[in-house]
Amino acid sequence: MIYSDIEGVLPAEQIKHNAKCHSLGNDGNQIMEAYSEEDISKVLSFAYQQSKTVNIISGGTKRGYGGELEQADILLSLGNYKGIVEHSVGDLTLTVKPGTTLREITEELAKHGQQVAIDTPWPELATIGGIIAANDSGPKRLLYGSARDLVIGTRIVYSDGRIIRTGGKVVKNVAGYDMNKLFIGSMGTLGVVSEITLKLRPLPSFEGLSLLQFPQGGQQAIREFSMQILDSMMEPVSLEILNPSFAEKMTGNRDYTLAIAFEDRKKAVQEQEKWVKNHVPIDAKHCVMHEEQARRWWEKFRHFGPNGHNDEEYNDSNTQAALKIGSNNFDVLIILEVSERLSKEHQVTTEAHGGVGHGISRVFIEGLPENIVSYIKALRSEVERRHGYVVCTHLPFKLRKLVCVWGEIPPYFALLEGIKHTNDPNRILNRQRFVGGI
Amino acid sequence: MFGKKRQKQKPDDAVIQQLMQIVGDSEVLYLKEDLIAYECDGYTLSKGMPKAVIFVKSTKQVSDVVKYLNTVGIPYIARGAGTGLSGGATPLGGEVIISLVRMKRMLHLDLKNRKAVVEPGYINLKLTQSISDKGYYYAPDPSSQYACTIGGNVNENSGGAHCLKYGVTTNHILGLEFVLPSGDVIELGEEGIPDRPGYDLLGLLTGSEGTLGIVTKITVKILKNPEGKKTVLAYYDDIGDASQAVSDIIAAGIIPAALEMMDSIAIEGVESAAYPVGHPRDIAAFLLIEVDGIDAGIEDQIDEILTVCKNNNVREIKVAKDEEERGLWWANRKMGFGAMGAISPDYLVQDGVIPRTRLPEVLAKISEISKKYELRIANIFHAGDGNLHPLILFDASIPGESERASKAGSECLKVCADVGGSITGEHGVGIEKSAEMRFIFTDEEMTAQTNIRAVFNPEDLLNPGKLFPQPGRCVEIKREITKVVVS
Repeated sequence: MIYSDIEGVLPAEQIKHNAKCHSLGNDGNQIMEAYSEEDISKVLSFAYQQSKTVNIISGGTKRGYGGELEQADILLSLGNYKGIVEHSVGDLTLTVKPGTTLREITEELAKHGQQVAIDTPWPELATIGGIIAANDSGPKRLLYGSARDLVIGTRIVYSDGRIIRTGGKVVKNVAGYDMNKLFIGSMGTLGVVSEITLKLRPLPSFEGLSLLQFPQGGQQAIREFSMQILDSMMEPVSLEILNPSFAEKMTGNRDYTLAIAFEDRKKAVQEQEKWVKNHVPIDAKHCVMHEEQARRWWEKFRHFGPNGHNDEEYNDSNTQAALKIGSNNFDVLIILEVSERLSKEHQVTTEAHGGVGHGISRVFIEGLPENIVSYIKALRSEVERRHGYVVCTHLPFKLRKLVCVWGEIPPYFALLEGIKHTNDPNRILNRQRFVGGI
Repeated sequence: MFGKKRQKQKPDDAVIQQLMQIVGDSEVLYLKEDLIAYECDGYTLSKGMPKAVIFVKSTKQVSDVVKYLNTVGIPYIARGAGTGLSGGATPLGGEVIISLVRMKRMLHLDLKNRKAVVEPGYINLKLTQSISDKGYYYAPDPSSQYACTIGGNVNENSGGAHCLKYGVTTNHILGLEFVLPSGDVIELGEEGIPDRPGYDLLGLLTGSEGTLGIVTKITVKILKNPEGKKTVLAYYDDIGDASQAVSDIIAAGIIPAALEMMDSIAIEGVESAAYPVGHPRDIAAFLLIEVDGIDAGIEDQIDEILTVCKNNNVREIKVAKDEEERGLWWANRKMGFGAMGAISPDYLVQDGVIPRTRLPEVLAKISEISKKYELRIANIFHAGDGNLHPLILFDASIPGESERASKAGSECLKVCADVGGSITGEHGVGIEKSAEMRFIFTDEEMTAQTNIRAVFNPEDLLNPGKLFPQPGRCVEIKREITKVVVS
């Protein structure tokens, strides 16, 4: 009865009653499928007027990322609102609908020798809307930057159904506030992104990947080598350290491994690889891959870690979690070491990697729920001691109640609440999904 | 028109006295003759007399001053070196200017983690100079970098010639400390660690033109110098060919560090100024193209650039033979705006952005505007990223010319907006372009922005009247513009 008034908002075939609740939460009693910006606007206007809560989803890979509300009134799905609106090849810009997967974008742009320089996981499932809303990133942010460096404009449907444009379609623009930034990483709590314009890059003419594998106890050598390359004039695209358990899955060797990518003209890549070869520390194993082989390696890299797209029933022994950790660049190695040590103490298995040039690490955890909770708390305390932060990017719903997903509330929380109130006064959008229960 | 305000500027004015209590007697200017230099910033077409100028030395002083001014309801403006080009630091009349030029120290340098912490009054070029011996630099390089402050750069989200490859200020800011209009001190991006949980206030503050808070400390990213660098100068008889070459270079998969263009009138200016290169006077345009990166990869890119330029009917093309020649070419280019003084009594610089593929048609329209208003328009562009700087030349002593220049400038921006571009790429909106915001944003979209301002600056005492069109007041300012002489 409650939802009889929903009929008429969208055609009947776009509305589905949701009988089951996903184990990761962030679900909705009624699933409403948007095919257009107008559909999004209609659903939100309705929800705003009727004070219904709305969760937003598209690829669903981030369903386990934040959220203390198991079921909203409406689950607004953008998964079918996809496609390229405009690709201006000469301007290196792309305007795209939010439900387009990163893979779809990559394939289309490759036909023109271009790319969106984002190397996030699960590209065939994760949509650009979700990647932007969650501010996801990969190892190559070292050189190419993250979403905030690539988004130049958006169209946003505000909570009352208004459509507001931010930024524009040109690569350089300082007219008004840089409102784009507010929506990147806001977890859909300020509005529904209905269109995104991105800055593109040409595809590199040549790709190389150098792997350095360090035997047990070689952390000091990794640190010294990393400092040396960062202080050189080399231009690595990634400088990602893999912990031994993750490296074993990637390479077959259980060693701390440094993945150094170079993407440039062939001669420049070769020159940099020569530099690496000349500086390889004694005891470290060194191998080099090029082009297709390098691309395949990174493709494999992007398919690790839990993924909320799957609606698997987890039993207690194989509960999965994922963390994003921010730290000073050179604390990355320490954090990887600490994460490994604590995994033994808390009886969980972990795989981890982190960028020594950009300060973001990822830890994937598997184990008993109570052990995962104690592990995260212990790791968080170590990271915060080094002034970093830990965010849980994947946790089953019931565990999100036990571990604070976002960590401490920042001292300027009142500003965040003020912004939320300005954009979504009735708090209908992704309620309790973000920092401090925003 | 300032008679009434002059009355208030007596040394026994209670507000001035209180400000002196907070920052010290010698740190407050209040006499009209001392305040004249603060009537405007680098945008000289609009002027207003401040109530006082105070020089702060610490975050606490900023906070104390702001708290006090809130209690008496007096508006205030933060100011750095005053090199802004849109009137962002220009008073409308009666504001207290909080000058940050004495907060000019580098507080911390961390080469290992590639970051530096500076106070807002720290000069842009000084940062690069102070780390260049270690092989590092700070990327954003506005033409005024020898004078402008990093605090000002943050507020304007400044660009520069090399932002095509390296991005603008916002891409290089890791952390900020700022004072809210409430007086509260906020720290964002502590230790420069990226992606801290919460809305990206760092991104919002950068480019907010001093309307959301007063920046008191900045953590910036520093970069390692590129291994190699090559610079090319290409002369064209036809500006359309030069424009096409710009698009073709980008389409060839090259991202130059800089890709600049100047037309014949601009060339006439720079050749008459301090750093003449000896460019032929009869060319239609030149391109200044710089490629940097790993040495081994540069030669191929230069070869491709030479091919593209030749395919587009270049008259003459050359690669800088040494650092000295490269330096001269850049000095000549960076003199661009100032050089207009050599060929015209006054000029007005605009800052439109367009999709770079629309360059030829936009140039044709700017040429029509020039004819319509009977004013010469020189063009200097960051062509690679579609950022145009039409320089409208006029003589303010001729009745009506200032007004025509202002109208011509606004029309140039309309052309940019109409092809899907923006009214400003790096100079900011300030006072100058607040009316033109309507070219690209609806009232609803601007309200979405002013609502955000209200979260930070609810009383609108911090830099009021900037960025957004204000009915009535805006008309007055435009009227005022036509009265003022620039040189």
